[in-house]
Amino acid sequence: MDDDELSALIRNQATRHTAGERLRAAVTTQIALRAAARTPGEGGQPAVGRWRPWLGPGVFAGFAAGVALTLALAWIVPRFAMPEPLQSELVADHVGALKTGSLIAIASADRHTVKPWFQGKLDYAPQVVDLAAEGFPLLGGRIDHVAGTPAAALTYARHLHMVSAFVWPSDRALAPQRSQRMGFNVLHWSDGSMQVWLVSDLEIAELERMGLAWRARVAAP
Amino acid sequence: MTDARRFEAAVLPCLDAGYNLARWLLRDEAAAEDVVQESVLRALRYFAALKGSDARPWFLGIVRNACFTHLADRRGRPEQSGFEDQALEAFQQHAGLAAPDPAQEVQKGRDRLRIDAAIRMLTPPLREVIVLREIEGLEYAEIALIAAIPMGTVMSRLSRARSRLKELLSHSGVDR
Repeated sequence: MDDDELSALIRNQATRHTAGERLRAAVTTQIALRAAARTPGEGGQPAVGRWRPWLGPGVFAGFAAGVALTLALAWIVPRFAMPEPLQSELVADHVGALKTGSLIAIASADRHTVKPWFQGKLDYAPQVVDLAAEGFPLLGGRIDHVAGTPAAALTYARHLHMVSAFVWPSDRALAPQRSQRMGFNVLHWSDGSMQVWLVSDLEIAELERMGLAWRARVAAP
Repeated sequence: MTDARRFEAAVLPCLDAGYNLARWLLRDEAAAEDVVQESVLRALRYFAALKGSDARPWFLGIVRNACFTHLADRRGRPEQSGFEDQALEAFQQHAGLAAPDPAQEVQKGRDRLRIDAAIRMLTPPLREVIVLREIEGLEYAEIALIAAIPMGTVMSRLSRARSRLKELLSHSGVDR
């Protein structure tokens, strides 16, 4: 066997390992997280690194004043604002899952793999729709606790953005409602049997596009 | 966000090559996934330093270094040449177990197993050049950049790796 024969043999026969869906999803999540942790704008330096040269006594005074003001506002504002704890809780679940890397407990782009995974874990069968054709590929699902009860949370991707879709039963139809918490957009609706809450840092227009596609799929699977 | 987009466009196409290299070097699926994830984070941190040059050898270099660090941590020492002979013995025994089969597909599958096994037997520095050259199809200059060795060393390692592979394969009956 000469070198060329050996090369051909290796090229044609040796295994070329490829990165699986799970690794790809993990990597995309890491990139999205890192991008979110950076302040927008020039440089690409982490925000903390850029602040460091500025730190001086004056800055600390300003910082203390800022903290005092924030505390004061945090104390006062809730008394005037309408409490909508569910949105905040869902955003916290989404962020928490991103942070701890627990966004996906079952990794699959196939809804016929993801949906059965919830069997025996929930007392209902959540809607799991395939939106890959619309540009929102399914990455997987997990169980999250919403208001103290286990609920299905699905993960979809849109470019660098992750979307958590929380799904649980409802008994009253509701037209789509949009809201915002901590810079995240929340879109929810109910078809009278299931309610869906989409949470993402995606622009609201994109999220509404996803909601439309979702409802279209449920109406005509 | 544009930074992240640029990073994604540059690095995601190299993910398979990076995973393939890590998988071959570490010979372990979970460890390879960990190392690739770690490498992506490191690459993100230093992406600005790339300044538009080719991302593939750059990213593979990061993966490669992470793999060798992982191997050193795992063994507590670098691999030594004595390992190869033990491995050869084990391989010969293993190869002897497989009975000949006339079906061509079976033979092809067996060739794959034997070639994979032979590559796995190489020491990491030799395995690295073979994987990059023969499986990934990289140029000598790119391999030199990735492994941070002179071109001459790339060529001498390749030639050592090839003669070792021929030896291993002739023992296991893959010969044409």
